[in-house]
Amino acid sequence: MPVVVIHREGQTHQGEVKDNSNLVVMAGIRQFPHPHLRYGCGMGKCCRCASRVLKGAEHLPEPNWKEKKQLGPRLDEGYRLICQLWITHDLELEQDKTPLTPAAAAGA
Amino acid sequence: MPELMDKAVFREALENAIKGKSANQAPFSIAWASGRLSRAHLARWAENHYHYVGPFADYLGYLYARTPHHYTEAKDFLLANMYEEEIGGDRHTDLLIRFAEACGTTRQRVVDPDNMSPTTRGLQSWCYSVAMREDPIVAVAALVVGLESQVPSIYRRQAPTLRDVYKFTDEEVEFFDLHIVSDEIHGERGYQIVLEHADTPELQQRCLKICEIGAQMRLLYTTALYWDYVAKDIPLSEIDAGERKVA
Repeated sequence: MPVVVIHREGQTHQGEVKDNSNLVVMAGIRQFPHPHLRYGCGMGKCCRCASRVLKGAEHLPEPNWKEKKQLGPRLDEGYRLICQLWITHDLELEQDKTPLTPAAAAGA
Repeated sequence: MPELMDKAVFREALENAIKGKSANQAPFSIAWASGRLSRAHLARWAENHYHYVGPFADYLGYLYARTPHHYTEAKDFLLANMYEEEIGGDRHTDLLIRFAEACGTTRQRVVDPDNMSPTTRGLQSWCYSVAMREDPIVAVAALVVGLESQVPSIYRRQAPTLRDVYKFTDEEVEFFDLHIVSDEIHGERGYQIVLEHADTPELQQRCLKICEIGAQMRLLYTTALYWDYVAKDIPLSEIDAGERKVA
């Protein structure tokens, strides 16, 4: 089972999730990474779940159209929309204290 | 008199109540998954589906008002579900209308209740009836476990086909993608509420029965879509036994 590490506001949280899990779904049903993962709409629009991938990015699929639209240049900095990802390998993430502003909303 | 089931046994019984009545078995779903529907067929689906899922927050609103105060977590879940349907991101029905427009119909036609079939009106009425009249936990079992929890498995099959076979763009089929995430959360939390609060044998049996009826209602609705809009173009005999087995 994939091991997920989340860094947020100076704290580190670690847990296992079932193979092919969506972390926003897991948090939504009150299992790890709840309550440590911040998320919002679950539809790739609000960017509240956006996180920088520290380890394991090579196992993730290419960013989809929503990630490209909402993250824009942040993709090059390693950010991904966690609600758009199904996890099959270990992953280490960092969430900023302040959620990202969607690139589409910012006119980027 | 049946005995009180523990949560694991009760959950399995709920899943079995839905299984076998899944709307995935309907000829319309099979024809959709195998790429045989036309955009006109899909437009009729959207015009009907709007009147089933469009009022989902209304159904939950009636249910919310009748749910006792001490079911705090269940009430919060209903409220969050309503919020996510309507204003958490894009309004879900707007995404359905976007898909409908890509199929060649119009917003005006979609929102017009005269364009739904009598069977769709029946499903909508059943949802309102359950929300207004059933015990709140039984109503969660019906609307969320029996109906909403089926959605991810249906859309997970349909979304790739819409892109790969029907050649819709990503934006046109966003309605289907978002429900794979949101309804997975809603369905599972619905299970958690029902498992927690259906705490008598009688209540458990009522939940099982209404889950079965909910799944039947959705199957009825989906089956009617085939007969009302598709049967004249694709005979049932052309939806072969092999496809039925994998659906």
